[in-house]
Amino acid sequence: MNPRATELVQGTLDMLILKTLQLEPRHGYGIAQRIEQISKGVFRVNPGSLFPAFRRLERQGWIKAEWHPTENHRRAKYYKLTERGRAQLKTETAEWTRQLAAITRIMEAS
Amino acid sequence: MSFLTSVIGGIRSLFRKKQVERDMDEELRAYIDAAAQEKMRSGMTHEQALRAARMEMGSTEAVKEEIRGAGWESTIETLWQDLRYGIRQLRRNPGFTTVAVLTLALGIGANTAIFSMIDAIMLKSLPVDDPSRLVVLRWAAHKEPHHSGNSSFGDCKPGDDNNPSGCSLPYPFFETIRSQKDAFSGATAFAGPARWVMTGDGLARMADGELVSGDYFSTLGVRAALGRILMPGDDTPASPPVTVLSYAYWQAAFAGSPTVLGRSVLLNDVPFTIVGVADPGFTHLSPGKSQDLFLTLSMKPRLDGRWGSDNDTWTYNEWWLVVIARLKPGVSREKAQAAATLAFRNTMLHGEKPRSKEADDPRILLLPAQQGLTGQRGFYAQPLYILMCAVGLVLLIACANVGGLLLARATARQKEMAIRLAVGGGRLRIIRQLLTESVALSVAGGALGVVFAYWGVRVMTGPLVLGRTDSPFPFEIRPDWRALTFTISISVLTGLIFGLAPALRSTRLSLTPALKNDGSLLSGGAASARCRWRLDRALVVVQVGLSMIVLVGAGLMVRTLQNLRSVPAGFDTHNLLLFGIDPTLQKYKGSEIQTLYRSTQEQISALPGVISASYSSDTLLSGGLWTSDLHIEGQPEKTNQEVDMLATGPEFVKTLRIPVLEGRAFTSADFDVAAQAAALREAAEHRPSAAWPSTAPKVPAPASPTVPVMVNAAFVHRYFANENPLGKVLTQGDSNSASGGSFGSAPNIRRWAIVGVVGDTKYDDLRREIKPGVYIPLATGGAYFEVRTATNPSSLVPQVRNIANRLDSNLPLFGVRTQTDAIENLMTQERVIARLSTFFGLLALVLACMGLYGLLSYEVARRTREIGIRISLGAERGDVTRLIIARGMRLTALGLVLGAAAGLGLTRLLASLLFNVKPADPPTYAVVVLLLAGVAFLASYLPAWRAAKVDPMVALRYE
Repeated sequence: MNPRATELVQGTLDMLILKTLQLEPRHGYGIAQRIEQISKGVFRVNPGSLFPAFRRLERQGWIKAEWHPTENHRRAKYYKLTERGRAQLKTETAEWTRQLAAITRIMEAS
Repeated sequence: MSFLTSVIGGIRSLFRKKQVERDMDEELRAYIDAAAQEKMRSGMTHEQALRAARMEMGSTEAVKEEIRGAGWESTIETLWQDLRYGIRQLRRNPGFTTVAVLTLALGIGANTAIFSMIDAIMLKSLPVDDPSRLVVLRWAAHKEPHHSGNSSFGDCKPGDDNNPSGCSLPYPFFETIRSQKDAFSGATAFAGPARWVMTGDGLARMADGELVSGDYFSTLGVRAALGRILMPGDDTPASPPVTVLSYAYWQAAFAGSPTVLGRSVLLNDVPFTIVGVADPGFTHLSPGKSQDLFLTLSMKPRLDGRWGSDNDTWTYNEWWLVVIARLKPGVSREKAQAAATLAFRNTMLHGEKPRSKEADDPRILLLPAQQGLTGQRGFYAQPLYILMCAVGLVLLIACANVGGLLLARATARQKEMAIRLAVGGGRLRIIRQLLTESVALSVAGGALGVVFAYWGVRVMTGPLVLGRTDSPFPFEIRPDWRALTFTISISVLTGLIFGLAPALRSTRLSLTPALKNDGSLLSGGAASARCRWRLDRALVVVQVGLSMIVLVGAGLMVRTLQNLRSVPAGFDTHNLLLFGIDPTLQKYKGSEIQTLYRSTQEQISALPGVISASYSSDTLLSGGLWTSDLHIEGQPEKTNQEVDMLATGPEFVKTLRIPVLEGRAFTSADFDVAAQAAALREAAEHRPSAAWPSTAPKVPAPASPTVPVMVNAAFVHRYFANENPLGKVLTQGDSNSASGGSFGSAPNIRRWAIVGVVGDTKYDDLRREIKPGVYIPLATGGAYFEVRTATNPSSLVPQVRNIANRLDSNLPLFGVRTQTDAIENLMTQERVIARLSTFFGLLALVLACMGLYGLLSYEVARRTREIGIRISLGAERGDVTRLIIARGMRLTALGLVLGAAAGLGLTRLLASLLFNVKPADPPTYAVVVLLLAGVAFLASYLPAWRAAKVDPMVALRYE
């Protein structure tokens, strides 16, 4: 457990979930772990915000859930990106890049 | 798309709740498992790993709650929960709930019913295409243009003497308007309806027919439901006679049979072919006037002059048509009005024969047809607006009442609120729950209100209230959804406001005193309690005041009705059967009419149970009035006096029991003279008239014999106060005699001599004061019969019908009713307002006193402990009773004072409907004050009595 773990940047959780699902479907814990791993432990997501986000994204029609057996032969709910989810990820990525560049410019201005 | 997914997902989780919950549990368990596996991989034991994973997750229930909150369906779920809880709460207090729901329902129902009627009668647009472009033409001038005849059929508001105006126009002017293609895209003219006898299809019956120009239906944009509409080709002197039925008449008289097309019927013995049925939506043009069938204008000469002389029908002499035009697109009403006025001025000032002077400023006004065609609107307008005020006040009282109930209840529930807050209920959540409860109450009231509204409209239009016994109510009315929405909104708003105020306050309380249930003794609670008290009392005062206004209005109308009922009619109105026949419709002539009337009179008089029978040009106290301008001997030369006229048959004064004061009543010789004079006049009028359109000159009539007449006491008092009236001569002025009553073509006799004086009677209605009147012997025209019976007159109707049928089966009877019914019919307005306002007044009284009772009961309950202390310290029980009653009566007195002040202002609006009673009638006010005070005393006495019974020992332990 990384002691310096922080909360996510406001409003980015949905985008991060979509991103982790870009390559393959994952279950809830898999998604949380993936975010923690890739951010090298900087970001940690607690289940209390993760699961409501799933419900939200599902309602938006961006992700879809299916029950699959896990590697330990248990059943788990796997989330997968839909076509619309993919498009949404693209838009959000573009928007995020744009904002990030702008913020960087402001922070680096002397 | 995503919206749809969200809706579907939400609905799915609402309906497959168990499945969704199970999925959620399993998903969370899988998460913990996965997390535990991960931790075990880094060396923890199975138990340690599981524990750590659970701790990371925190409360599963909280997570689940968050997941549930992510979808919209959770809002609905809480709402549903609140609703169920609210309904449970309401069911636990059935008394409170019943009272509140009934109160609201009555208020909502009454308002919706009355507003629906106002809408149908006053506001609904004409049932034609694009009614906003339709205008009705109205002439106006400082002095009435010269013409020989003017007839109107109640389509428009009549003009007054100082500013003559009207909607009746001559035929050639209609043609002028129709040819103004620059201003109007179409124009049509109509007149009527007149009553015709329809035969040739089974029983003879009366049908109301409207004469319309050939382009009537096309100009209005009314289509045929069956067959075809009338067309311009039907409106020429050579056209075959055809008629179009109204939808309602088709249903009523022909049972909606499609075989009527092409069928031939006789109207006044003239054959007509039915070619079509008008659209069912086309119920009327002028509000409240309905027609059974439509004929073209050019049929008028064939139907035998029902509108006076035929000679002038197509000339500027006879003003008889209502003209409706459709404004051309892009032409403003002002521009079209200028064009029409120009044409009108030209003909009036510079026509073949000038009919107006420049200074009279003859002009044409174009009124939107919706406002211009008033029809029977005026008759119903006043009662409806007054009732609207009454029910509006009742709704206010109802809202105040429910508001008071909600306030009292909220205070009673302070403890419950405190507990809920103490165990962690969110304030918003509690407020929302309370609001849900009061809105549920309002909605229940509204739902029941819909039922009351339907029922109310049915009752209002039924024969007991606005409908008349002899004809169905002329408007079609359904409860109006806009009105319903409005009234329900008001009640929901009441629920919200009076639910919100206590909800906010009770959730803000400091918990400890509230839980101890003596909030009023402590600082925060005391302030809020005082505030609540003020609002509560104000509501009761307002209710008492408002119900005082409604009751005073009702009282004044009841007094008016009583006064009208006690007005002496001047004749015996009991046991008198009335009916009308019109043999002129069957082409009876002069002496044939006399013979028919005499034999009818003789045969009816011979019936067992009949004392005597007679007939007259109109029945008294039935609304009909005939006045005429006469020159009276002894008055200045060339002056005319307007007097009431009535043509009667033999034995009229005897049958009606009008006393003969001087001279004698008519003898049969008098009728021979009258018949002789009438024959002479008829011969003069029915010279072979020229073909259509005719401009044949009038031929002066030869001098006719002097006919004996009777006058009433008022006549003698006015004109022969100090002389012997017998033998005095009356002469008819010029041909401009006003004619009204049921039979316009009154015998136009020239010279009369007074042979008798009879007692005064009321003529057309009970309000009009008795005017000088002349009775002439009836020689021609239709007549109403009066049958004096020994017992209940209604039982004789079959025998009377039998006699009429035997004499001529083609002669329908109409207006069969008793004199008492006829009088009741005259007082419809007053009776309706009196009955309904009494009902609403009592309703208001009950509501207000319920409010007072509720307030005092609550106060007694709240002060039980204080009362207990007072009693144990030695207060008399009588003191306690007095204390509570005094409180109730103080509020009532305040309400009465305010109500009386407002009532004095408002009841002035009733003045025109009142009869022999002033709006500020002291006895009415006194009775209302006593009634209200009395009932308020009872309402205060019950809680006071309960207070006096308080047992100090119980009260002091009371928690």
